[in-house]
Amino acid sequence: MNIDIDHLTRKFGRTQAVAGVDLQVGPGVFGLLGPNGAGKTSLLRMMATVLQPSSGSLQLLGRDPASYSQRREIRRRLGYLPQNLGYYPGFTVVEFVEYFALLKEMLPAQIPAAVAVAVDRVELGERANSKLRTLSGGMLRRVGIAQAIVNDPELLLLDEPTAGLDPEQRVQFRTVLRELGEMATVVVSTHLVEDVGAACTEVALMDRGLIVFRGTPDGLRERGVGHSLGDAPLERGYSAVLADGRA
Amino acid sequence: MSDMHTTGQEWDGAPPDVDLGRVWRAVATEVWRRQPSWLESRAAKWLGSPGLARALLTTPSLLVAWLISTVVVLGVGAAATVGTGLPLVALLAPAVAGAGIAYAYGPGTDPAWELSCSMPVSDRMVLLVRTVAVFAINAGLGLAASAASGQAAPVTFGWLLPMAAVSALALATATVARSANVGVAAGMAGWAITVLAAQATSGQWSSAITDWALVAPYLIFAACCVAVVIVATRVPKGVS
Repeated sequence: MNIDIDHLTRKFGRTQAVAGVDLQVGPGVFGLLGPNGAGKTSLLRMMATVLQPSSGSLQLLGRDPASYSQRREIRRRLGYLPQNLGYYPGFTVVEFVEYFALLKEMLPAQIPAAVAVAVDRVELGERANSKLRTLSGGMLRRVGIAQAIVNDPELLLLDEPTAGLDPEQRVQFRTVLRELGEMATVVVSTHLVEDVGAACTEVALMDRGLIVFRGTPDGLRERGVGHSLGDAPLERGYSAVLADGRA
Repeated sequence: MSDMHTTGQEWDGAPPDVDLGRVWRAVATEVWRRQPSWLESRAAKWLGSPGLARALLTTPSLLVAWLISTVVVLGVGAAATVGTGLPLVALLAPAVAGAGIAYAYGPGTDPAWELSCSMPVSDRMVLLVRTVAVFAINAGLGLAASAASGQAAPVTFGWLLPMAAVSALALATATVARSANVGVAAGMAGWAITVLAAQATSGQWSSAITDWALVAPYLIFAACCVAVVIVATRVPKGVS
């Protein structure tokens, strides 16, 4: 298992953001669904090793992130797109992606080719030398995705990756996700159920810091049979699970 | 997203055994390749890490606009010192350095700070390298301005230790409060209180810089602030 989580919790003051999550995830695209405030981002930040758990255990790529040397190894193999990714407005697309390739301690000789592949993959070749301040929100999101995949990560964590993308770009991005999922563990946190249905092999639904459903997108659809809230089968399944959990 | 080479492979003129995607990426690799500057290459060699070198050169308070502002402030201070005889450079330099250090690294200061924290290059190392660089450059600029203002040696060099204490206070506060602005405010306020208290006691504006009795308190205070930074940036152990 590339992600092995055992009763993980995280508190912010009196607020319990993550309330005892158990999760094992192998290769493939794993969708993390849930309403705002469900704890998805906190869980993803702990997986990205930027947030310390309050209790519980977390193993990533067979390593313990509490150990400095192992955390460093994890980070070399990690791709992370935060929900709110800041940008250096004076950097070009290539400079930004290259900067994070350097911070990921990739071999300098490999970086130019890796940057070219990543920028090409998110279809920003024509804007490769444009300053980030000149790009649209959707393009900036794609720059963020490019930096996340530049090191061919074994573990890719994406927080709301399709926010700001237009429908065509979202469809194209799902294709990239499926390709990445063939080689790595990809965790996608989103509140857009259609992204999960189209790209994910497995899905977990979080609510109030807990995982209230774990299964396949088809399994989630089945849970929505006979439920009226929602326009699409997956949305009905999502609503049904949340309603059952809160009842 | 669809690869650009997909379009290329549909071009009728391409021989069937040529992977235009690979050709395109090879061309892009060369066209987009960035040559690090002389300074970045040197820094990478000294620090033993190209990533750390690049992180150093992106320090907000080492950008050209910030450095020009520092030179202007200290230059005006030097001119005013020559004109009035007041040790303005010595009083300004610690505050300017404290502001620069508070803005060296952290949330709100570094746009991609959250992402930087997930990188194998330790963010504590980034903080350390940036802090040392900002301090050294501010000390150099301050000494040049101080020397140009023609003050006596105790005034010219006496502010270096207070500068270390003010910088450490600004850094510690910014780290704990996770806000550069709060760090700057703490550094400025701390230095202003020190200068005014020393002036009230001795009747001289330069006593916060030249009074030897303050050397030990400055050193102890700076050491305590550094300890706070070390504790605040540590990764807690015991929870995996």
